[in-house]
Amino acid sequence: MAEDRRADTTQTAMFLRILFKSLKVRKNRVFITFFSIMIGASIITALASVYFDISAKMSRELRAYGANFFVGPSASRGERSVESDAIARAIAMVPTDKLAGASPYSYGVVRLDLGNAVLAGVDFRGLKKLSPYWQVEGKWITVDFDEDSCMIGKTLAKKMELKVGDPVNVMRSETGFQKALTVKGIAETGQAEDEQIFVNLALADRILGNNGRVNHAMLSIVTEGTDIDGLAARMQQEMPGMDAKPIRKLSYSEGKILDKIKGLMAIIAVIILTVTTLCVMTTLITVVSERTREIGLMKAIGADDREIVAQFLAETLIIGLAGVAAGLVAGFALAQVLGHAVFGSAIAFRMIVLPMTLVPSILASLLAAALPVRMAVGIVPAKVLKED
Amino acid sequence: MAKIVLETKGLTKRYGSVTPLDSIDMQVHEGEWVSIMGPSGSGKTTMLNLLSCLDAPSEGEYILDGVATATLTEKQRVAVRREKIGLIFQQFHLVPYLSALENVMLAQYYHSMIDSKDAEQALAHVGLGHRIGHLPSQLSGGEQQRVCIARALINQPAIILADEPTGNLDEANEEVVLDLFKGLHREGRTIILVTHNPELAQYSDRVVRLHHGKVVHDA
Repeated sequence: MAEDRRADTTQTAMFLRILFKSLKVRKNRVFITFFSIMIGASIITALASVYFDISAKMSRELRAYGANFFVGPSASRGERSVESDAIARAIAMVPTDKLAGASPYSYGVVRLDLGNAVLAGVDFRGLKKLSPYWQVEGKWITVDFDEDSCMIGKTLAKKMELKVGDPVNVMRSETGFQKALTVKGIAETGQAEDEQIFVNLALADRILGNNGRVNHAMLSIVTEGTDIDGLAARMQQEMPGMDAKPIRKLSYSEGKILDKIKGLMAIIAVIILTVTTLCVMTTLITVVSERTREIGLMKAIGADDREIVAQFLAETLIIGLAGVAAGLVAGFALAQVLGHAVFGSAIAFRMIVLPMTLVPSILASLLAAALPVRMAVGIVPAKVLKED
Repeated sequence: MAKIVLETKGLTKRYGSVTPLDSIDMQVHEGEWVSIMGPSGSGKTTMLNLLSCLDAPSEGEYILDGVATATLTEKQRVAVRREKIGLIFQQFHLVPYLSALENVMLAQYYHSMIDSKDAEQALAHVGLGHRIGHLPSQLSGGEQQRVCIARALINQPAIILADEPTGNLDEANEEVVLDLFKGLHREGRTIILVTHNPELAQYSDRVVRLHHGKVVHDA
């Protein structure tokens, strides 16, 4: 028993000795094979890393184009405003980890120094999350209790000849409200908001005399893993006097774009694997051609097909594993570059990337070895050993 | 009378309409040294390929050390080569990245189990005990051929088949290799040697001459 084990160990040691010496003597070919597999594995690692982060990151990116959920008074009942408490209850129904941002909106016409304008009462912290694409000159209002400042749309600011830091008188004849506010920020939105003036919701309520009612709320909800239609239905059921609906154009586009990007990544991965396979195959065919006589000799002195196959597959496997290991490191670094370039943030390492890179890369390497191994097995020693 | 190690009956090889070896009947006894001679194209190489089980005959029988080999599969022929035949080539054919010792051990590896001490002894037996760690490229032609002989002997084969073993050697090395063959013969090894070299053949017990694929002389 001990003797058998010793004999096995020695056989294994000889197998490994042949293996590594054979690899060592063909450094250039080994490097080309290693490099091909490394490139393939690194791209798969990068794509897989981004793939698993993309849902969250793309959702965040796409939500930058605006809110994707509306809550407001029931249009069928002809109501134009709703209690802000009801809006707050509706917003509270969204799981906190799925709510990217939300703000109620309260509108009314006010008189400024040089003319009339639409005033919007908002929750600035929510608005900032809903509208990250706004280009703001000056600063955002960041607290609820700031009742001395306003933000103003760029077009309106130009019309009213206002700059950041200027005072502006806000008047409402119906309520007799009049107050001088300071322009804290001028926002360029590219939309209707460019012609509006924004103040905190509580201040807007006093200016407009809305008595705690708002016109509607806009929400940004993470669509990944959220049954957004079910959420809207539950809101409607619990608050029959209100409309709650996803803004389909955005939320559906989000899902479709994600699907298309994921599909594109899968196609790129397949193309890269195919190119890697062809490159490795070509190199291994050259290696077999160079080793024809050596293989013929091995067969002549007693190596059977199984031993020739084992030798070549083991060589390919060793190069493949080394290539995948290097590819994982390089690919994760590449993922960081992509993450920062596209999403402006790092890509997290996920364990699932490991088998996703290892399995297809090794399978591609072994597939690439299939034809060269077949060629090696087909070598006729009597023929090749006689050739000069 | 020594036992018959190798016997052929009507051994024939055909490639289409060409018959390079035609109905060869031959017996080789244990410990016998037989030289196969003949001009180019006489069928020597074909005969060697058949006797070494590197090729299968088209017709006839070939019994090697009690095993009828003519109808064996390629896998079975590999086993016969591994177990019963020691091959020596004109061009030496050593694995270039393995040392002299490892080249000998390679035959052990495919045969059964590695024993580096036995491999070292085999190399010492051919006068290369001091060169075991050298690569083929660091050895002279004569030394490479001696490694090849050590490799052929290591598994104690039933026969040693040598194809022009001195064909690529200078006179001095030819002498060394010839002495080795004489020694092997004295040890009682069965040797079949394909050669053009009458000086080498003169030491054999028998010379078989081939011409156009037929035995024209056997004595």
